[in-house]
Amino acid sequence: MSIKISGTQTTDIFKDEKSGKLREVGNQAAWSLSSCKPGFGVEQLRDDGHDTYWQSDGPQPHLANIQFRRKTTIYDICFYANYKADESYTPNKISIRAGNHFNDLIEIEQLEMTEPVGWMSIPLKDSYDQPIRTFMIQVAILSNHQNGRDTHVRRIKIRSPTQSFNLSTTGLQNFTSKELQMYSVVR
Amino acid sequence: MTVDPNITEMIHQEPVQAAIWDALNHYAYPDAAFLAERLFAEAPNHDTLYLLATCYFRAGRPIQAHLLLQKHDSPSHDCKYLLAKCCIEIDKLCEAESVLVGDVFTKYNSSLDEVEVEYGNMACHVFSLLASVYSKTDRIEKAVECYKRSLRLNPLLWKSFERLCQLGEKVDPCQIFQNTLPVADTPLPSFSIGVADTISPISTTHSPGLKLLNVQSPMPSINVIPADSINLTPDNQNVPIISQIPTAPKVTRIKKNNREPPTGLSKAMSRKTLFNIQSPLSPSFGVMPFDSSSPRIHNMPFLTPSPVALSETQLKDVEAPYKKPVTRRQNQNLVPKPPVFNFCGNSKSQDIGNQQSGLPNVRRSSRLFGNSSSVKENNKSQGNKTRLTSPKAINRKSKSRTIKSQQELNEINKEDYTADNKSYINDAPSQTQMIIHMQHQSMAGVLTLLQALGKGYQALSDYNSKKAIDLFSKLPEHQYNTGWVLSQIAKSFYYMANYHKAKRLFQEVRRLEPYYLESMDLYSTTLWHLQLEVELSTLAKDLTELDKTSPQAWCATGNCFSLQQEHDLAIKFFQRALQVDPNCSYAYTLLGHEYVTTEEFDKAMACFRNAVRVDIRLYTAWYGIGLIYHKQEKYNLAELHFRKALSINPESSVLMCHVAVVQHAQKKSEPALKTLEKAISIDPKNALCKFHRASILFAVDKDQEALKELEELKQLVPKESLVYFLIGKVHRKLGNTHLSLINFSWATDLDPQGANNSIKEAIDKRYSTDADDDDVIFGGNEGSFDPVGNLDELGEGPSQSDDNGPVFDQDLQAVESDESL
Repeated sequence: MSIKISGTQTTDIFKDEKSGKLREVGNQAAWSLSSCKPGFGVEQLRDDGHDTYWQSDGPQPHLANIQFRRKTTIYDICFYANYKADESYTPNKISIRAGNHFNDLIEIEQLEMTEPVGWMSIPLKDSYDQPIRTFMIQVAILSNHQNGRDTHVRRIKIRSPTQSFNLSTTGLQNFTSKELQMYSVVR
Repeated sequence: MTVDPNITEMIHQEPVQAAIWDALNHYAYPDAAFLAERLFAEAPNHDTLYLLATCYFRAGRPIQAHLLLQKHDSPSHDCKYLLAKCCIEIDKLCEAESVLVGDVFTKYNSSLDEVEVEYGNMACHVFSLLASVYSKTDRIEKAVECYKRSLRLNPLLWKSFERLCQLGEKVDPCQIFQNTLPVADTPLPSFSIGVADTISPISTTHSPGLKLLNVQSPMPSINVIPADSINLTPDNQNVPIISQIPTAPKVTRIKKNNREPPTGLSKAMSRKTLFNIQSPLSPSFGVMPFDSSSPRIHNMPFLTPSPVALSETQLKDVEAPYKKPVTRRQNQNLVPKPPVFNFCGNSKSQDIGNQQSGLPNVRRSSRLFGNSSSVKENNKSQGNKTRLTSPKAINRKSKSRTIKSQQELNEINKEDYTADNKSYINDAPSQTQMIIHMQHQSMAGVLTLLQALGKGYQALSDYNSKKAIDLFSKLPEHQYNTGWVLSQIAKSFYYMANYHKAKRLFQEVRRLEPYYLESMDLYSTTLWHLQLEVELSTLAKDLTELDKTSPQAWCATGNCFSLQQEHDLAIKFFQRALQVDPNCSYAYTLLGHEYVTTEEFDKAMACFRNAVRVDIRLYTAWYGIGLIYHKQEKYNLAELHFRKALSINPESSVLMCHVAVVQHAQKKSEPALKTLEKAISIDPKNALCKFHRASILFAVDKDQEALKELEELKQLVPKESLVYFLIGKVHRKLGNTHLSLINFSWATDLDPQGANNSIKEAIDKRYSTDADDDDVIFGGNEGSFDPVGNLDELGEGPSQSDDNGPVFDQDLQAVESDESL
């Protein structure tokens, strides 16, 4: 089962982040790439600019590995791609794999993009439809538009749901009213 | 007569020194530094070294001062003190300590008594410094000892008292802020800081007091008590000041008429004294009789009168007369020459040459208030309008009052002045007595005020908030309406979790004193609690404009972003606050809380531990550690830390609430309920306690009581979805299907996303267990899921009910049933 995305993306993927339900956990992970051109590496992939990108420099498939220190619940992974700027460098088919380490990865999602412009969010769910829990995620760029050899990836975000465990027993609930929220924390 | 080259030297030196002190007093630091450098090159002795170091230090360059003093390694007390101060500024605590008392590790280590004797009048400040070193290096008992000694020597050092309270030491303000002199006739002890050098330059700028205060008439009274030897150390002998009196009227007259004071005269006098004092000295080029000179210089002030009458006064330390705010009610006889209290921080105890004229210096401008004469009658009542010259007072005075009282004072002064002037010369002995008397009175007034403040502050550090508020509200109005006092009261309200009142008081502080920075970080947290985004961002902006190098500004900014859920940015700003001030324990706490929110528990733990390292009595940090353990489900550790926090702040209902929750999680429900009852009794407005009580009652199967509690809670907090959710659960357990469904649907209404997804699950479960009991009429608002087929037509989800949320004031059930259709 693969997800097909095409054209300009208009959904606002940051809505949940702003409302506090999702949180970017990329900075809790170690990032590595299969290959990159000097000056176009992890820094540029992970910075906040849409104009900086990772440019690969080796054979396909190009891999971006995300390794966490602890088993992390992942809600989704987001890409920013811009066909208009990258043309043949824009990824076309992406495979997302998860597992414990390099020799333990299985593909959980496949994504096919056609001339994408903007942010795309791919939820990662396991067979019970829950966000996956994993130590490592690998993003594999299988092919590019117009059969390009190298790829440009502008931004990748990886997000985790906040407070995924059931808190009602522990009493640290999220209150909706201001009065109770006021009393719930000592700060 | 050939002039002794030494004397020539001194002649050269003195005007330059005078000029340097003048520059320092007028904040012309580059000028002062340059001159001091030239002077030091000309005559490298302790005093010039000290002068140069002072120039650097005051110009805000402690590292330079430190290197300079280290290089020249002078054993004079002033230099040692300044070196220690520089070391503390640049965080070299070990060196500071070794300078003051000798190395910790060596055998020779002065005891505190030796230190006291060695530094004489400066000892109070030395102890204060030492205590700060000890408290930072975890030697709390020694720190406490040093603070107590410093207060004993000088009860007006408020910060020592403050630090004592913060260290958790129980001290009695009445004991501390006490005038230790038994006899009313003895002049008050003075402080070892001579104003020599401030005085001499000031003589040339006559009546600087005028300029400082924007008052028309000068303070003639000031000059009457020039160079008072006001020794607070009981040890010091009483220095007769009669010798001064003859000179006083001259200068007074001069001041009054705004004429050029006889600076020539004063200077000559000073020179005479210099000759007398310093002739044994020979600070000629290249020859430095270091050891002989300095002790004498310092010991001189405390000995009995030296040869020249004036020299004595010059050696004595000066205090600006303590002015009394005079109202018409008061006894005007006492008004004429109110003593002005002054601590001029120049440690040159010689060459107090032109003290008579020179009392007003810039530092005194805010301190020219005095004791009301009604002190005699009722010392501690509100009528005692004492104004205080402790450093914090500078912040607190509202200018209008200052000027008004000065003018009042001056009116009366003017009237009495001419009358008294004549009597001066004739009336020398009684003059002395009157002066002494007034000094005592003003001291008594200050001390009374300090006692009142001390009691209040101590109650606050004990987190005994109600008492603190009471004590502070007993203060006279003009003291009450100052930034410091109001923010202490606001802090008391904050600790009681009464954020609304705290916010109002903080607002008042901002209005009265927009430059007041001290407790503004707590204000920002208050606004954070109340979720007032606009005010918080305004505050953050104002504070950063006010002072970018203050941790409070960055704490406020961090809080602002935290409220906007931008936790990464908040973390960045809290880290900035820590960069600016690595000893700000509150910034550590706030940073820790942010890490907890982003679930980086190890970093959070490190932050809270750092906060506790800096300030062991910061209960919010202990709470933070407890919170982390709570989230990690280590309930016994959590309870331990919550209890620790509670032991510091026993009246916090929020903390008790947490303790109760944790107890319940450890299956100790009975104690949990007891704790909650206590919490509710302390703070009946804390709805959260009631909520937790209800949930615990529900958990232990006391459903009816739980329901009762929840009904009350519904009235208190109508918009809380979890309340309805809990009621729904209770009803479900009791088997009241309709009611439970109603409540679940209300809960979903209030919280459509179900931030606690458990609401949906609970409803799910409910449907899966009682499939037959579906009541279609009430099922309409259940949301997007559809476990039972026949809900399809009605199930449009919560979206439709969002627009017209249930009206909670009226009969809810009737409304709800209408809406569902």
